[in-house]
Amino acid sequence: MVNNLDLIKYRDEILPKYWYNIIPDLPKPLPPPMDPKDGFSRIELLQKILPREVLRQQFTVDRFISIPDELLEKYTIVGRPTPIFRAIGLEKYLDTPARIYFKYEGALPTGSHKINTAIAQVYYAYSDGVEGVTTETGAGQWGSAVALSASLYGLKSFVFMVRVSYEHKPGRRGLMEFYGAEVIPSPSNLTRFGSELLKKDPSNPGSLGIAISEAIEYALDHGYKYVMGSVMDVVLLHQSVIGLEAMKQMEIIGEEPDVIVGCVGGGSNFAGLAYPFIGLRGKGKRFVAVGSAEVPKFSKGVYRYDYPDAAGILPMLKMITLGKDFVPPPIYSGGLRYHGLAPSLSLLVKEGVVEWVEYREPEIYRAAAIFARTQGIVPAPESAHAVKAVIDIALEAKKRNEKTVILFNMSGHGLLDIDNYRSMMMRYGRL
Amino acid sequence: MKRILVAYTTLGYPSKERFLEFVSKAGKFGVDYLEIGIPPSFAKYDGPAIRRSYEHVKKLGIDTREALRAVAKNASAPIIALTYLDDYATVLNRFAEELSSIGIEYLLLPDLLIDYLDSYKEVLETLRACGVKPTLFVSSSMPDRLIEEVSKHSEPFLYLGIRPATGIPIPVDPVVVVRRVRKLVDNTLVVGFGLSIDDIANAVNAGADGIAVGTAIIEAIERGGIEEAFKLLTKLRGVLNEL
Repeated sequence: MVNNLDLIKYRDEILPKYWYNIIPDLPKPLPPPMDPKDGFSRIELLQKILPREVLRQQFTVDRFISIPDELLEKYTIVGRPTPIFRAIGLEKYLDTPARIYFKYEGALPTGSHKINTAIAQVYYAYSDGVEGVTTETGAGQWGSAVALSASLYGLKSFVFMVRVSYEHKPGRRGLMEFYGAEVIPSPSNLTRFGSELLKKDPSNPGSLGIAISEAIEYALDHGYKYVMGSVMDVVLLHQSVIGLEAMKQMEIIGEEPDVIVGCVGGGSNFAGLAYPFIGLRGKGKRFVAVGSAEVPKFSKGVYRYDYPDAAGILPMLKMITLGKDFVPPPIYSGGLRYHGLAPSLSLLVKEGVVEWVEYREPEIYRAAAIFARTQGIVPAPESAHAVKAVIDIALEAKKRNEKTVILFNMSGHGLLDIDNYRSMMMRYGRL
Repeated sequence: MKRILVAYTTLGYPSKERFLEFVSKAGKFGVDYLEIGIPPSFAKYDGPAIRRSYEHVKKLGIDTREALRAVAKNASAPIIALTYLDDYATVLNRFAEELSSIGIEYLLLPDLLIDYLDSYKEVLETLRACGVKPTLFVSSSMPDRLIEEVSKHSEPFLYLGIRPATGIPIPVDPVVVVRRVRKLVDNTLVVGFGLSIDDIANAVNAGADGIAVGTAIIEAIERGGIEEAFKLLTKLRGVLNEL
């Protein structure tokens, strides 16, 4: 077990000095981002809105990219390295010979892994000398990570929040504002795109696509940089701190995982944990990506070029997708409602390196309750998908009496989702 | 060692006559290979300038076969034809035989290793059987193993694209990319896709044997006709000769 004292003792050894990029180790070439046949060049647009170094990292593919000291310090401030726990309570409850470990990204201040890339992108925006950053947010998870990161560097942040969430999630909005962000309900009158929409329909509830368009337009108009929480390779690159730390921590513990599990929205938390293991130590291991059956991208998605954003402003990426216009049903795992899957993860799934499984909401609701009651931590509904898969794998191990070592990413805690769990209780019954 | 200069232009650009003048004189300005883009139905991995040049010649209605014959007769350097396999996948045999009969020695298909990876070896066999040598295009988003494997099949050099699309000045670090690929391959290595003048020395010092220029040529022609492009070539040759 790596407890808190060990974390301090081993901190410098555990916190990596570099990020890992899996692209040179993929089984096949990663199809490049592409501009659509008609219209403006989306790749050219990236150049205007993203911090210079973020672009350089996206397009200069090398296996290891060093993390600047100033950024490492910020990782330490927010609580990296995050702990790894053995889920003994869950193991006992399941009465399984499997040993279950989880990397706890929920220990970070905004409650999830999102900040690993927010801090990096905002740092590079700060290095470019801009005064502020813009972004979009749905439920507020990503927006909180950007708001805190901007404050750490003394930058302003402008978060365009989907209007319906802005109205229904005052807690998240309050958190972002408390961190110092300007939170704007989208569509808004601050952009041409937003005010056009409001002219047509003043009660437009907004969407993530609209919020992205507004955040980009606002950045262009004010000389700010735009930071993206979506599926670009560079986001996955920054998240590799999770897996690199975990690799070291498992070494210190003296265990080697047989199965690595993570839930998947766009793929960044899964990739963050799994990619260093896949690329550097993948032999004989299983990698299981867990999706939502209500957003069935693994079972029904098609591998093709599609826009990563609903607005179609970013370059097209080749990925497993349900189509950018896919309207997800109202499930509570906001982070898994995304229509596509990061290009590198799509390729690894197509090539059979990564397996997948999908679960329905009532199943993950039950798994979340089991985990909360046996381990204490309330998983984010997204992370509860990983918990459900881990429970199934541990029960399989029990059937075969195998001492499988399972490692999963508890990508976020669910304390800010308690209202969602209460709604699930009403929808699916008390457990 | 003489550094290689590869000059790209689009077939028939900016007009049939001026194009022929460009290919017949480029050699005098130190160009070692002429890369000639045959307008595809969708130039998916090309940037805005090259896409504009394709649109321009499509509007002129240039007869591809006739124009290619004229290039082969007039070219002042060996020719590498460039087009997308997407348009020829089902008629590759006929297309390659035609190129060969016209006297075009090399063919570069930028989408081959991206969209046709599973059948790339058969494609290479077909080209060779028809007398056309494949020039292969790799990029930094390709895995090490593949770059190593395909390098030995590429003639007269391996083409390394350092940016995601031609001519968009995304701030990549050419040194990092060239170093990585140089370690993997013994073949002659030519680097292209949006190199700036400042990048050239860095790329060569990192291990590149030469450079390929395309977008800058198209943009020079847009600005001041082929004379402007010749000025650019003179400058590039000068930079390369000093290294």
